[in-house]
Amino acid sequence: MTDTLVLGLGNTLRGDDGVGPAVIGWLQGRGLPPEVSTWEGDAAGLELTLAMAEHRRVIVVDAADLGRAPGAWLRLTPDRARLKSGASALSLHAAGLWDALALGAALNLLPNEIVIYGIQPAQLDWLPVLSAEAQAAVPNVGRAVLHEIGGQDGKDSDH
Amino acid sequence: MSTLPVTPVTSVSLDVHHVTRVEGHGNIVVDVQNGVLKHCELQIIETPRFFEAMLRGRPYTDAPHLVSRICGICSVGHQTASVQALEAALEVTPSEQAMLLRKLLFHGEILDSHILHVYMLVAPDFYGAGSVLPLASSHPQVVLRALRMKKTAGDLCAMIGGRHTHPVTMRVGGFTRLPAAGELEKLRARLDGLRGDVDATVELFRSLTVPDFERSTEYIALSLPDEYAFIGGTITSTDGFQLPVSAYREVTNEFLVPHSTAKHTSHHRESYMVGALARFNINHARLHPRARAAAVALGLKPICANPYMNSAAQVVEIAHCVEDAVALIDKLLARGILPEAPPAVDIRAGEGVAACEVPRGTLYHHYRIGDDGQVAGANCIIPTGQNLANIEADMRALVPRILDRTPDQIRLALEMLVRAYDPCISCATHMLDIRFE
Repeated sequence: MTDTLVLGLGNTLRGDDGVGPAVIGWLQGRGLPPEVSTWEGDAAGLELTLAMAEHRRVIVVDAADLGRAPGAWLRLTPDRARLKSGASALSLHAAGLWDALALGAALNLLPNEIVIYGIQPAQLDWLPVLSAEAQAAVPNVGRAVLHEIGGQDGKDSDH
Repeated sequence: MSTLPVTPVTSVSLDVHHVTRVEGHGNIVVDVQNGVLKHCELQIIETPRFFEAMLRGRPYTDAPHLVSRICGICSVGHQTASVQALEAALEVTPSEQAMLLRKLLFHGEILDSHILHVYMLVAPDFYGAGSVLPLASSHPQVVLRALRMKKTAGDLCAMIGGRHTHPVTMRVGGFTRLPAAGELEKLRARLDGLRGDVDATVELFRSLTVPDFERSTEYIALSLPDEYAFIGGTITSTDGFQLPVSAYREVTNEFLVPHSTAKHTSHHRESYMVGALARFNINHARLHPRARAAAVALGLKPICANPYMNSAAQVVEIAHCVEDAVALIDKLLARGILPEAPPAVDIRAGEGVAACEVPRGTLYHHYRIGDDGQVAGANCIIPTGQNLANIEADMRALVPRILDRTPDQIRLALEMLVRAYDPCISCATHMLDIRFE
Protein backbone atom coordinates (compact mmCIF):
# COMPACT_ATOMS: atom_id res chain seq x y z
CA MET A 1 0.00 0.00 0.00
CA THR A 2 1.23 3.45 -0.88
CA ASP A 3 0.09 6.92 0.13
CA THR A 4 -1.21 7.94 -3.29
CA LEU A 5 -2.77 5.94 -6.09
CA VAL A 6 -2.95 7.31 -9.61
CA LEU A 7 -5.66 5.46 -11.49
CA GLY A 8 -5.95 5.57 -15.29
CA LEU A 9 -9.36 4.37 -16.49
CA GLY A 10 -10.64 3.58 -19.96
CA ASN A 11 -10.70 0.96 -22.70
CA THR A 12 -7.58 1.31 -24.84
CA LEU A 13 -9.38 -0.30 -27.80
CA ARG A 14 -11.91 2.50 -27.91
CA GLY A 15 -9.97 5.44 -29.24
CA ASP A 16 -9.73 8.31 -26.77
CA ASP A 17 -11.34 6.26 -24.01
CA GLY A 18 -7.77 4.99 -23.60
CA VAL A 19 -6.42 8.43 -22.63
CA GLY A 20 -6.40 7.56 -18.89
CA PRO A 21 -4.08 4.54 -19.31
CA ALA A 22 -1.96 6.65 -21.72
CA VAL A 23 -1.37 9.24 -18.98
CA ILE A 24 -0.35 6.40 -16.63
CA GLY A 25 2.14 5.23 -19.26
CA TRP A 26 3.52 8.78 -19.53
CA LEU A 27 3.88 9.01 -15.72
CA GLN A 28 5.59 5.63 -15.49
CA GLY A 29 8.10 6.82 -18.06
CA ARG A 30 8.94 9.82 -15.85
CA GLY A 31 9.54 7.87 -12.65
CA LEU A 32 7.40 8.47 -9.59
CA PRO A 33 8.21 8.82 -5.88
CA PRO A 34 7.98 5.52 -3.95
CA GLU A 35 4.90 6.65 -2.02
CA VAL A 36 2.95 6.83 -5.29
CA SER A 37 1.60 3.79 -7.13
CA THR A 38 -0.19 3.65 -10.46
CA TRP A 39 -2.87 1.39 -11.80
CA GLU A 40 -4.02 1.09 -15.38
CA GLY A 41 -7.56 0.33 -14.36
CA ASP A 42 -8.75 0.00 -17.95
CA ALA A 43 -12.35 -1.15 -17.86
CA ALA A 44 -12.27 -1.91 -14.14
CA GLY A 45 -15.54 -1.69 -12.24
CA LEU A 46 -16.43 -2.31 -8.62
CA GLU A 47 -12.96 -3.65 -7.79
CA LEU A 48 -11.94 0.02 -7.80
CA THR A 49 -13.69 0.40 -4.44
CA LEU A 50 -11.11 -1.65 -2.55
CA ALA A 51 -8.22 -0.36 -4.66
CA MET A 52 -9.14 3.20 -3.63
CA ALA A 53 -9.81 2.24 0.00
CA GLU A 54 -6.20 1.22 0.48
CA HIS A 55 -4.84 4.73 -0.10
CA ARG A 56 -4.94 8.14 1.56
CA ARG A 57 -5.27 9.94 -1.74
CA VAL A 58 -6.52 8.85 -5.15
CA ILE A 59 -5.96 10.72 -8.40
CA VAL A 60 -8.15 9.43 -11.24
CA VAL A 61 -7.43 10.16 -14.91
CA ASP A 62 -10.21 9.32 -17.35
CA ALA A 63 -11.89 10.40 -20.55
CA ALA A 64 -14.89 12.51 -19.66
CA ASP A 65 -17.68 14.19 -21.53
CA LEU A 66 -17.09 17.75 -20.38
CA GLY A 67 -18.99 19.42 -23.20
CA ARG A 68 -15.75 21.05 -24.37
CA ALA A 69 -13.43 20.88 -27.35
CA PRO A 70 -11.59 17.57 -27.87
CA GLY A 71 -8.41 17.42 -25.79
CA ALA A 72 -9.66 19.95 -23.21
CA TRP A 73 -9.25 18.78 -19.65
CA LEU A 74 -10.43 19.65 -16.16
CA ARG A 75 -9.34 18.92 -12.62
CA LEU A 76 -12.41 18.04 -10.60
CA THR A 77 -13.37 16.81 -7.19
CA PRO A 78 -16.23 14.33 -6.88
CA ASP A 79 -18.42 16.85 -5.05
CA ARG A 80 -18.12 19.25 -7.98
CA ALA A 81 -18.95 16.70 -10.63
CA ARG A 82 -21.99 14.52 -10.62
CA LEU A 83 -20.95 11.29 -12.26
CA LYS A 84 -23.46 9.00 -13.84
CA SER A 85 -23.72 5.31 -13.06
CA GLY A 86 -22.60 2.99 -15.81
CA ALA A 87 -24.31 -0.07 -14.39
CA SER A 88 -27.75 -1.00 -15.65
CA ALA A 89 -30.34 -3.00 -13.78
CA LEU A 90 -29.45 -6.01 -15.90
CA SER A 91 -25.67 -6.12 -15.91
CA LEU A 92 -22.65 -4.80 -14.05
CA HIS A 93 -20.46 -4.91 -17.14
CA ALA A 94 -20.48 -1.17 -17.49
CA ALA A 95 -20.06 -0.37 -13.80
CA GLY A 96 -17.33 2.18 -13.46
CA LEU A 97 -15.95 4.95 -11.30
CA TRP A 98 -19.29 6.35 -10.16
CA ASP A 99 -20.46 2.92 -9.06
CA ALA A 100 -17.19 2.22 -7.24
CA LEU A 101 -17.36 5.62 -5.51
CA ALA A 102 -21.00 5.12 -4.52
CA LEU A 103 -20.27 1.67 -3.12
CA GLY A 104 -17.21 2.99 -1.29
CA ALA A 105 -19.29 5.80 0.22
CA ALA A 106 -22.01 3.37 1.34
CA LEU A 107 -19.39 1.19 3.05
CA ASN A 108 -17.48 4.16 4.43
CA LEU A 109 -14.31 3.06 2.66
CA LEU A 110 -13.33 6.07 0.58
CA PRO A 111 -10.11 8.00 1.08
CA ASN A 112 -10.47 11.64 2.11
CA GLU A 113 -8.85 13.00 -0.98
CA ILE A 114 -10.11 12.09 -4.43
CA VAL A 115 -9.25 14.18 -7.47
CA ILE A 116 -10.39 13.47 -11.02
CA TYR A 117 -8.68 14.67 -14.18
CA GLY A 118 -11.22 14.45 -16.99
CA ILE A 119 -10.16 14.75 -20.62
CA GLN A 120 -12.59 15.45 -23.46
CA PRO A 121 -12.35 12.71 -26.14
CA ALA A 122 -12.51 13.38 -29.88
CA GLN A 123 -13.61 9.88 -30.88
CA LEU A 124 -14.56 6.59 -29.21
CA ASP A 125 -14.57 4.20 -32.17
CA TRP A 126 -12.98 0.76 -32.11
CA LEU A 127 -9.45 1.99 -32.68
CA PRO A 128 -6.47 1.16 -30.48
CA VAL A 129 -4.96 4.65 -30.90
CA LEU A 130 -5.57 8.15 -29.50
CA SER A 131 -6.63 11.15 -31.57
CA ALA A 132 -4.09 13.95 -32.01
CA GLU A 133 -6.09 16.10 -29.57
CA ALA A 134 -6.12 13.48 -26.82
CA GLN A 135 -2.48 12.65 -27.46
CA ALA A 136 -1.60 16.31 -27.05
CA ALA A 137 -3.39 16.41 -23.69
CA VAL A 138 -1.43 13.43 -22.29
CA PRO A 139 1.81 15.25 -21.28
CA ASN A 140 -0.11 18.28 -20.03
CA VAL A 141 -2.32 16.21 -17.77
CA GLY A 142 0.71 14.11 -16.79
CA ARG A 143 2.59 17.25 -15.69
CA ALA A 144 -0.46 18.49 -13.75
CA VAL A 145 -0.64 15.15 -11.94
CA LEU A 146 3.09 15.31 -11.13
CA HIS A 147 2.53 18.82 -9.81
CA GLU A 148 -0.32 17.57 -7.65
CA ILE A 149 1.70 14.64 -6.33
CA GLY A 150 4.42 17.10 -5.34
CA GLY A 151 2.00 18.67 -2.92
CA GLN A 152 1.18 21.70 -5.02
CA ASP A 153 -2.52 21.45 -4.74
CA GLY A 154 -3.57 23.43 -7.77
CA LYS A 155 -6.98 25.01 -7.75
CA ASP A 156 -9.52 23.37 -10.01
CA SER A 157 -7.92 24.02 -13.31
CA ASP A 158 -9.53 24.51 -16.65
CA HIS A 159 -7.54 23.96 -19.82
CA MET B 1 -35.19 2.15 -29.40
CA SER B 2 -38.67 1.57 -30.73
CA THR B 3 -41.63 2.52 -28.64
CA LEU B 4 -44.60 0.29 -28.31
CA PRO B 5 -47.98 1.08 -29.82
CA VAL B 6 -50.63 2.22 -27.38
CA THR B 7 -52.39 -0.82 -26.00
CA PRO B 8 -55.97 -1.21 -24.74
CA VAL B 9 -56.77 -0.55 -21.10
CA THR B 10 -57.08 -4.25 -20.41
CA SER B 11 -53.50 -4.93 -21.35
CA VAL B 12 -50.11 -4.83 -19.74
CA SER B 13 -47.32 -3.22 -21.66
CA LEU B 14 -43.89 -3.20 -20.16
CA ASP B 15 -41.00 -1.45 -21.74
CA VAL B 16 -38.07 -1.51 -19.38
CA HIS B 17 -35.53 0.77 -20.93
CA HIS B 18 -32.07 1.28 -19.63
CA VAL B 19 -30.64 4.26 -21.34
CA THR B 20 -26.92 4.25 -21.32
CA ARG B 21 -24.02 6.53 -21.96
CA VAL B 22 -22.59 5.17 -25.15
CA GLU B 23 -24.00 1.80 -26.06
CA GLY B 24 -24.88 -1.60 -24.69
CA HIS B 25 -27.47 -2.61 -22.11
CA GLY B 26 -30.66 -4.50 -22.74
CA ASN B 27 -34.24 -3.40 -22.97
CA ILE B 28 -36.97 -5.84 -22.05
CA VAL B 29 -40.06 -5.32 -24.18
CA VAL B 30 -43.25 -7.18 -23.35
CA ASP B 31 -46.68 -6.49 -24.81
CA VAL B 32 -49.73 -8.28 -23.47
CA GLN B 33 -53.17 -7.52 -24.87
CA ASN B 34 -56.38 -8.88 -23.37
CA GLY B 35 -54.48 -11.50 -21.45
CA VAL B 36 -52.59 -12.74 -24.50
CA LEU B 37 -48.84 -12.29 -24.97
CA LYS B 38 -48.41 -10.47 -28.27
CA HIS B 39 -44.81 -9.56 -28.21
CA CYS B 40 -41.80 -10.29 -26.06
CA GLU B 41 -38.14 -9.59 -26.68
CA LEU B 42 -34.84 -8.63 -25.16
CA GLN B 43 -33.40 -5.81 -27.19
CA ILE B 44 -29.66 -5.75 -27.15
CA ILE B 45 -27.30 -3.27 -28.68
CA GLU B 46 -24.00 -4.97 -28.45
CA THR B 47 -20.50 -4.64 -29.67
CA PRO B 48 -20.92 -4.97 -33.43
CA ARG B 49 -18.82 -7.13 -35.70
CA PHE B 50 -15.62 -5.27 -34.98
CA PHE B 51 -13.70 -8.36 -34.00
CA GLU B 52 -12.44 -9.45 -37.39
CA ALA B 53 -11.89 -5.87 -38.56
CA MET B 54 -9.77 -5.17 -35.51
CA LEU B 55 -7.50 -8.18 -35.99
CA ARG B 56 -7.21 -8.70 -39.74
CA GLY B 57 -3.77 -7.85 -41.11
CA ARG B 58 -2.13 -7.67 -37.68
CA PRO B 59 0.63 -10.04 -36.53
CA TYR B 60 -0.87 -13.06 -34.76
CA THR B 61 1.03 -12.07 -31.60
CA ASP B 62 -1.19 -8.96 -31.29
CA ALA B 63 -4.39 -10.99 -31.07
CA PRO B 64 -4.23 -12.26 -27.45
CA HIS B 65 -3.22 -8.80 -26.28
CA LEU B 66 -6.01 -6.97 -28.12
CA VAL B 67 -8.83 -9.43 -27.40
CA SER B 68 -8.15 -9.32 -23.66
CA ARG B 69 -9.36 -5.73 -23.79
CA ILE B 70 -12.73 -6.52 -25.33
CA CYS B 71 -14.22 -7.10 -21.90
CA GLY B 72 -13.22 -5.88 -18.45
CA ILE B 73 -14.77 -8.96 -16.85
CA CYS B 74 -13.77 -11.77 -19.24
CA SER B 75 -10.29 -10.58 -20.22
CA VAL B 76 -8.58 -13.82 -19.12
CA GLY B 77 -11.22 -15.89 -20.93
CA HIS B 78 -10.77 -14.02 -24.23
CA GLN B 79 -7.00 -14.20 -23.96
CA THR B 80 -7.03 -17.91 -23.13
CA ALA B 81 -9.36 -18.74 -26.03
CA SER B 82 -7.20 -16.62 -28.34
CA VAL B 83 -3.93 -18.25 -27.30
CA GLN B 84 -5.42 -21.74 -27.55
CA ALA B 85 -6.88 -21.08 -31.01
CA LEU B 86 -3.56 -19.68 -32.24
CA GLU B 87 -1.77 -22.74 -30.84
CA ALA B 88 -4.17 -24.93 -32.82
CA ALA B 89 -3.47 -22.89 -35.97
CA LEU B 90 0.32 -22.85 -35.52
CA GLU B 91 0.59 -26.40 -34.15
CA VAL B 92 2.16 -25.34 -30.86
CA THR B 93 1.73 -27.52 -27.78
CA PRO B 94 1.95 -25.68 -24.45
CA SER B 95 3.91 -27.33 -21.65
CA GLU B 96 2.19 -29.03 -18.71
CA GLN B 97 3.33 -26.18 -16.46
CA ALA B 98 1.83 -23.61 -18.83
CA MET B 99 -1.50 -25.44 -18.79
CA LEU B 100 -1.53 -25.63 -14.98
CA LEU B 101 -0.89 -21.89 -14.77
CA ARG B 102 -3.53 -21.20 -17.43
CA LYS B 103 -6.11 -23.18 -15.45
CA LEU B 104 -5.17 -21.40 -12.22
CA LEU B 105 -5.47 -17.98 -13.84
CA PHE B 106 -8.80 -18.99 -15.38
CA HIS B 107 -10.18 -19.95 -11.95
CA GLY B 108 -9.26 -16.46 -10.71
CA GLU B 109 -11.46 -14.89 -13.36
CA ILE B 110 -14.37 -17.29 -12.84
CA LEU B 111 -14.26 -16.51 -9.11
CA ASP B 112 -14.02 -12.77 -9.68
CA SER B 113 -16.93 -12.70 -12.11
CA HIS B 114 -19.23 -15.09 -10.21
CA ILE B 115 -18.67 -13.26 -6.90
CA LEU B 116 -19.49 -9.96 -8.60
CA HIS B 117 -22.63 -11.39 -10.13
CA VAL B 118 -24.15 -13.33 -7.24
CA TYR B 119 -23.44 -10.68 -4.61
CA MET B 120 -23.75 -7.40 -6.47
CA LEU B 121 -26.47 -8.14 -9.02
CA VAL B 122 -28.49 -11.12 -7.74
CA ALA B 123 -28.39 -10.89 -3.94
CA PRO B 124 -29.99 -7.40 -3.81
CA ASP B 125 -33.13 -8.87 -5.46
CA PHE B 126 -33.53 -11.39 -2.69
CA TYR B 127 -33.10 -8.73 -0.03
CA GLY B 128 -35.58 -6.50 -1.85
CA ALA B 129 -32.81 -3.93 -1.92
CA GLY B 130 -33.12 -2.77 -5.54
CA SER B 131 -29.36 -2.58 -6.03
CA VAL B 132 -26.14 -3.23 -4.21
CA LEU B 133 -25.96 0.32 -2.81
CA PRO B 134 -28.87 0.01 -0.35
CA LEU B 135 -27.62 -3.50 0.43
CA ALA B 136 -24.22 -2.04 1.35
CA SER B 137 -25.97 0.21 3.86
CA SER B 138 -28.34 -2.41 5.28
CA HIS B 139 -26.01 -5.45 5.19
CA PRO B 140 -22.46 -4.09 4.94
CA GLN B 141 -20.93 -7.36 6.13
CA VAL B 142 -22.43 -9.17 3.10
CA VAL B 143 -21.00 -6.66 0.62
CA LEU B 144 -17.65 -6.49 2.42
CA ARG B 145 -17.39 -10.27 2.25
CA ALA B 146 -17.99 -10.09 -1.51
CA LEU B 147 -15.28 -7.43 -1.93
CA ARG B 148 -12.87 -9.46 0.22
CA MET B 149 -13.46 -12.60 -1.90
CA LYS B 150 -13.22 -10.59 -5.10
CA LYS B 151 -9.91 -9.11 -4.01
CA THR B 152 -8.34 -12.53 -3.49
CA ALA B 153 -9.57 -13.58 -6.94
CA GLY B 154 -8.24 -10.35 -8.49
CA ASP B 155 -4.87 -10.74 -6.76
CA LEU B 156 -4.66 -14.30 -8.14
CA CYS B 157 -5.21 -12.89 -11.64
CA ALA B 158 -2.57 -10.20 -11.06
CA MET B 159 -0.01 -12.72 -9.79
CA ILE B 160 -0.33 -15.13 -12.73
CA GLY B 161 -1.54 -12.75 -15.44
CA GLY B 162 0.69 -9.82 -14.52
CA ARG B 163 -2.13 -7.28 -14.13
CA HIS B 164 -5.46 -7.07 -12.34
CA THR B 165 -7.78 -6.38 -15.24
CA HIS B 166 -6.12 -7.39 -18.48
CA PRO B 167 -3.46 -10.11 -18.34
CA VAL B 168 -0.15 -9.52 -20.12
CA THR B 169 1.90 -12.64 -19.37
CA MET B 170 0.10 -15.21 -21.55
CA ARG B 171 1.66 -16.02 -24.91
CA VAL B 172 1.29 -18.74 -27.52
CA GLY B 173 3.02 -21.71 -25.87
CA GLY B 174 3.41 -20.38 -22.34
CA PHE B 175 3.99 -17.44 -20.02
CA THR B 176 6.48 -14.57 -20.13
CA ARG B 177 6.55 -14.32 -16.35
CA LEU B 178 6.35 -17.20 -13.87
CA PRO B 179 5.29 -16.93 -10.23
CA ALA B 180 7.86 -17.76 -7.54
CA ALA B 181 7.14 -20.68 -5.20
CA GLY B 182 6.86 -18.25 -2.30
CA GLU B 183 4.16 -16.24 -4.12
CA LEU B 184 2.19 -19.40 -4.81
CA GLU B 185 2.45 -20.46 -1.16
CA LYS B 186 1.06 -17.11 -0.03
CA LEU B 187 -1.76 -17.35 -2.56
CA ARG B 188 -2.55 -20.86 -1.38
CA ALA B 189 -2.84 -19.61 2.21
CA ARG B 190 -5.24 -16.89 1.11
CA LEU B 191 -7.38 -19.37 -0.83
CA ASP B 192 -7.40 -21.63 2.24
CA GLY B 193 -8.66 -18.67 4.21
CA LEU B 194 -11.46 -18.14 1.68
CA ARG B 195 -13.24 -21.38 2.61
CA GLY B 196 -15.14 -19.73 5.47
CA ASP B 197 -16.40 -17.06 3.07
CA VAL B 198 -17.37 -19.74 0.53
CA ASP B 199 -19.37 -21.56 3.21
CA ALA B 200 -21.04 -18.28 4.18
CA THR B 201 -21.89 -17.68 0.51
CA VAL B 202 -23.54 -21.09 0.21
CA GLU B 203 -25.42 -20.43 3.46
CA LEU B 204 -26.61 -17.04 2.18
CA PHE B 205 -27.97 -18.43 -1.09
CA ARG B 206 -29.52 -21.40 0.70
CA SER B 207 -31.64 -18.99 2.71
CA LEU B 208 -32.96 -17.20 -0.38
CA THR B 209 -36.07 -18.32 -2.23
CA VAL B 210 -35.58 -18.83 -5.95
CA PRO B 211 -38.61 -18.21 -8.22
CA ASP B 212 -40.35 -21.43 -9.17
CA PHE B 213 -40.12 -21.64 -12.96
CA GLU B 214 -39.01 -24.49 -15.18
CA ARG B 215 -38.87 -24.84 -18.95
CA SER B 216 -37.40 -27.83 -20.73
CA THR B 217 -34.17 -26.52 -22.29
CA GLU B 218 -31.18 -27.82 -24.21
CA TYR B 219 -27.98 -27.12 -22.26
CA ILE B 220 -24.60 -26.98 -23.97
CA ALA B 221 -21.14 -26.92 -22.40
CA LEU B 222 -17.65 -28.21 -23.04
CA SER B 223 -16.78 -31.46 -21.31
CA LEU B 224 -13.59 -33.34 -20.53
CA PRO B 225 -13.26 -36.89 -19.23
CA ASP B 226 -11.22 -36.19 -16.11
CA GLU B 227 -12.04 -32.67 -15.00
CA TYR B 228 -14.80 -30.08 -14.75
CA ALA B 229 -14.08 -28.41 -18.08
CA PHE B 230 -13.21 -24.73 -18.38
CA ILE B 231 -10.49 -24.77 -21.07
CA GLY B 232 -11.02 -26.97 -24.13
CA GLY B 233 -12.97 -30.22 -24.39
CA THR B 234 -15.83 -31.55 -26.47
CA ILE B 235 -19.01 -29.58 -27.13
CA THR B 236 -21.66 -31.55 -25.25
CA SER B 237 -25.45 -31.16 -25.16
CA THR B 238 -28.01 -32.47 -22.68
CA ASP B 239 -29.93 -33.57 -25.79
CA GLY B 240 -27.24 -36.20 -26.28
CA PHE B 241 -25.05 -34.61 -28.95
CA GLN B 242 -21.29 -34.28 -28.92
CA LEU B 243 -19.17 -32.35 -31.40
CA PRO B 244 -15.53 -31.34 -31.65
CA VAL B 245 -14.82 -27.65 -31.04
CA SER B 246 -13.75 -27.28 -34.69
CA ALA B 247 -17.39 -27.93 -35.69
CA TYR B 248 -18.71 -25.08 -33.51
CA ARG B 249 -20.69 -23.51 -36.34
CA GLU B 250 -23.01 -26.54 -36.38
CA VAL B 251 -23.95 -25.62 -32.82
CA THR B 252 -24.03 -21.88 -32.90
CA ASN B 253 -26.02 -21.44 -36.13
CA GLU B 254 -25.74 -17.68 -35.88
CA PHE B 255 -28.55 -15.58 -37.20
CA LEU B 256 -29.41 -11.91 -36.88
CA VAL B 257 -32.75 -10.67 -35.60
CA PRO B 258 -34.03 -7.17 -36.31
CA HIS B 259 -34.28 -5.90 -32.71
CA SER B 260 -30.74 -6.77 -31.70
CA THR B 261 -27.29 -6.16 -33.09
CA ALA B 262 -26.04 -9.21 -31.20
CA LYS B 263 -25.90 -12.47 -33.10
CA HIS B 264 -28.51 -14.94 -31.87
CA THR B 265 -27.81 -18.67 -31.98
CA SER B 266 -29.80 -21.89 -31.89
CA HIS B 267 -28.90 -25.57 -31.99
CA HIS B 268 -31.41 -28.35 -32.56
CA ARG B 269 -34.25 -26.64 -30.78
CA GLU B 270 -35.26 -22.99 -31.14
CA SER B 271 -32.59 -22.07 -28.60
CA TYR B 272 -30.11 -23.41 -26.05
CA MET B 273 -28.49 -22.23 -22.84
CA VAL B 274 -24.80 -21.95 -21.94
CA GLY B 275 -23.24 -20.90 -18.64
CA ALA B 276 -22.84 -22.19 -15.10
CA LEU B 277 -26.18 -24.05 -15.06
CA ALA B 278 -25.37 -25.77 -18.37
CA ARG B 279 -21.93 -26.75 -17.09
CA PHE B 280 -23.42 -28.08 -13.88
CA ASN B 281 -26.10 -30.05 -15.74
CA ILE B 282 -23.48 -31.67 -17.98
CA ASN B 283 -20.36 -31.92 -15.81
CA HIS B 284 -21.66 -32.16 -12.22
CA ALA B 285 -19.99 -35.56 -11.69
CA ARG B 286 -16.57 -33.94 -12.05
CA LEU B 287 -17.10 -31.20 -9.46
CA HIS B 288 -14.95 -31.14 -6.33
CA PRO B 289 -16.73 -32.90 -3.40
CA ARG B 290 -17.11 -29.59 -1.54
CA ALA B 291 -18.82 -28.10 -4.60
CA ARG B 292 -21.11 -31.12 -4.88
CA ALA B 293 -21.99 -30.65 -1.20
CA ALA B 294 -22.76 -26.99 -1.97
CA ALA B 295 -25.10 -28.11 -4.78
CA VAL B 296 -26.94 -30.41 -2.38
CA ALA B 297 -27.24 -27.59 0.16
CA LEU B 298 -28.62 -25.26 -2.53
CA GLY B 299 -31.12 -27.83 -3.81
CA LEU B 300 -29.46 -27.94 -7.21
CA LYS B 301 -29.89 -31.29 -8.97
CA PRO B 302 -29.10 -32.23 -12.57
CA ILE B 303 -30.83 -31.72 -14.92
CA CYS B 304 -32.14 -28.48 -13.45
CA ALA B 305 -34.36 -26.57 -15.91
CA ASN B 306 -34.93 -23.46 -13.79
CA PRO B 307 -32.85 -20.62 -15.31
CA TYR B 308 -33.04 -18.65 -12.05
CA MET B 309 -30.83 -21.44 -10.60
CA ASN B 310 -27.94 -20.29 -12.79
CA SER B 311 -26.88 -18.13 -9.85
CA ALA B 312 -26.91 -21.19 -7.55
CA ALA B 313 -24.74 -23.02 -10.10
CA GLN B 314 -22.34 -20.07 -9.98
CA VAL B 315 -22.11 -20.42 -6.19
CA VAL B 316 -21.33 -24.13 -6.70
CA GLU B 317 -18.59 -23.17 -9.16
CA ILE B 318 -17.17 -20.66 -6.67
CA ALA B 319 -16.71 -23.58 -4.24
CA HIS B 320 -15.20 -25.74 -7.00
CA CYS B 321 -12.77 -23.11 -8.27
CA VAL B 322 -11.41 -22.31 -4.80
CA GLU B 323 -10.73 -26.01 -4.17
CA ASP B 324 -9.33 -26.67 -7.64
CA ALA B 325 -7.11 -23.57 -7.47
CA VAL B 326 -5.59 -24.94 -4.24
CA ALA B 327 -5.09 -28.33 -5.93
CA LEU B 328 -3.42 -26.68 -8.96
CA ILE B 329 -1.06 -24.71 -6.70
CA ASP B 330 -0.17 -27.91 -4.81
CA LYS B 331 0.59 -29.61 -8.12
CA LEU B 332 2.74 -26.67 -9.29
CA LEU B 333 4.64 -26.57 -5.98
CA ALA B 334 5.20 -30.34 -6.00
CA ARG B 335 6.63 -30.19 -9.54
CA GLY B 336 8.67 -27.08 -8.82
CA ILE B 337 8.38 -24.04 -11.11
CA LEU B 338 10.55 -24.68 -14.16
CA PRO B 339 12.15 -21.53 -15.63
CA GLU B 340 10.77 -22.11 -19.10
CA ALA B 341 10.05 -19.42 -21.70
CA PRO B 342 7.36 -19.78 -24.38
CA PRO B 343 8.79 -21.92 -27.21
CA ALA B 344 9.86 -20.37 -30.52
CA VAL B 345 6.98 -20.52 -33.01
CA ASP B 346 7.45 -21.76 -36.55
CA ILE B 347 5.44 -19.24 -38.61
CA ARG B 348 3.16 -20.99 -41.07
CA ALA B 349 -0.26 -20.60 -42.61
CA GLY B 350 -2.91 -22.33 -40.55
CA GLU B 351 -6.36 -22.26 -39.10
CA GLY B 352 -7.43 -22.96 -35.53
CA VAL B 353 -10.49 -22.91 -33.30
CA ALA B 354 -10.56 -23.02 -29.52
CA ALA B 355 -13.29 -22.83 -26.91
CA CYS B 356 -13.34 -22.02 -23.22
CA GLU B 357 -16.06 -22.00 -20.59
CA VAL B 358 -15.88 -18.36 -19.50
CA PRO B 359 -18.15 -17.25 -16.62
CA ARG B 360 -21.20 -16.76 -18.88
CA GLY B 361 -20.72 -19.91 -20.99
CA THR B 362 -18.89 -21.22 -24.01
CA LEU B 363 -16.64 -18.73 -25.82
CA TYR B 364 -15.28 -19.60 -29.28
CA HIS B 365 -12.30 -17.97 -31.00
CA HIS B 366 -11.41 -18.91 -34.57
CA TYR B 367 -8.41 -17.61 -36.55
CA ARG B 368 -6.88 -18.05 -39.97
CA ILE B 369 -3.20 -17.16 -40.11
CA GLY B 370 -1.39 -16.37 -43.36
CA ASP B 371 2.11 -17.64 -44.19
CA ASP B 372 3.39 -14.19 -43.16
CA GLY B 373 2.12 -14.76 -39.60
CA GLN B 374 -0.63 -12.16 -39.97
CA VAL B 375 -4.25 -12.72 -39.06
CA ALA B 376 -6.13 -13.38 -42.31
CA GLY B 377 -9.51 -14.03 -40.70
CA ALA B 378 -11.04 -14.10 -37.22
CA ASN B 379 -14.35 -14.96 -35.59
CA CYS B 380 -15.55 -14.80 -32.01
CA ILE B 381 -18.81 -16.15 -30.57
CA ILE B 382 -19.57 -14.94 -27.07
CA PRO B 383 -21.83 -16.75 -24.59
CA THR B 384 -24.40 -13.98 -24.21
CA GLY B 385 -25.07 -14.09 -27.96
CA GLN B 386 -25.79 -17.79 -27.61
CA ASN B 387 -28.14 -17.22 -24.67
CA LEU B 388 -30.27 -14.41 -26.14
CA ALA B 389 -32.71 -16.66 -27.99
CA ASN B 390 -33.09 -18.80 -24.87
CA ILE B 391 -33.75 -15.79 -22.62
CA GLU B 392 -36.56 -14.75 -24.97
CA ALA B 393 -37.97 -18.29 -25.02
CA ASP B 394 -37.97 -18.23 -21.20
CA MET B 395 -39.73 -14.87 -21.18
CA ARG B 396 -42.40 -16.15 -23.57
CA ALA B 397 -43.00 -19.14 -21.29
CA LEU B 398 -42.89 -17.12 -18.08
CA VAL B 399 -45.11 -14.14 -18.88
CA PRO B 400 -48.39 -16.07 -19.37
CA ARG B 401 -47.83 -17.78 -16.01
CA ILE B 402 -47.50 -14.52 -14.08
CA LEU B 403 -50.13 -12.32 -15.73
CA ASP B 404 -52.10 -12.18 -12.49
CA ARG B 405 -49.33 -10.07 -10.98
CA THR B 406 -48.98 -6.30 -11.09
CA PRO B 407 -46.90 -4.75 -13.88
CA ASP B 408 -44.18 -3.95 -11.34
CA GLN B 409 -44.07 -7.55 -10.17
CA ILE B 410 -43.95 -8.81 -13.77
CA ARG B 411 -41.16 -6.37 -14.53
CA LEU B 412 -39.17 -7.56 -11.52
CA ALA B 413 -39.65 -11.25 -12.43
CA LEU B 414 -38.39 -10.56 -15.97
CA GLU B 415 -35.46 -8.46 -14.82
CA MET B 416 -34.48 -11.16 -12.34
CA LEU B 417 -34.68 -13.73 -15.13
CA VAL B 418 -32.37 -11.72 -17.38
CA ARG B 419 -30.04 -11.01 -14.48
CA ALA B 420 -29.83 -14.74 -13.69
CA TYR B 421 -28.21 -15.27 -17.09
CA ASP B 422 -25.55 -12.74 -16.09
CA PRO B 423 -25.56 -11.19 -19.57
CA CYS B 424 -22.59 -9.36 -20.99
CA ILE B 425 -24.31 -6.49 -22.69
CA SER B 426 -21.93 -3.63 -22.55
CA CYS B 427 -18.26 -4.27 -22.90
CA ALA B 428 -17.54 -0.93 -24.39
CA THR B 429 -16.12 2.36 -23.26
CA HIS B 430 -15.75 3.40 -19.67
CA MET B 431 -15.90 7.11 -20.25
CA LEU B 432 -17.06 9.34 -17.42
CA ASP B 433 -20.35 11.07 -17.87
CA ILE B 434 -20.27 14.28 -15.88
CA ARG B 435 -22.95 16.81 -15.13
CA PHE B 436 -21.87 19.92 -13.33
CA GLU B 437 -23.82 21.01 -10.30
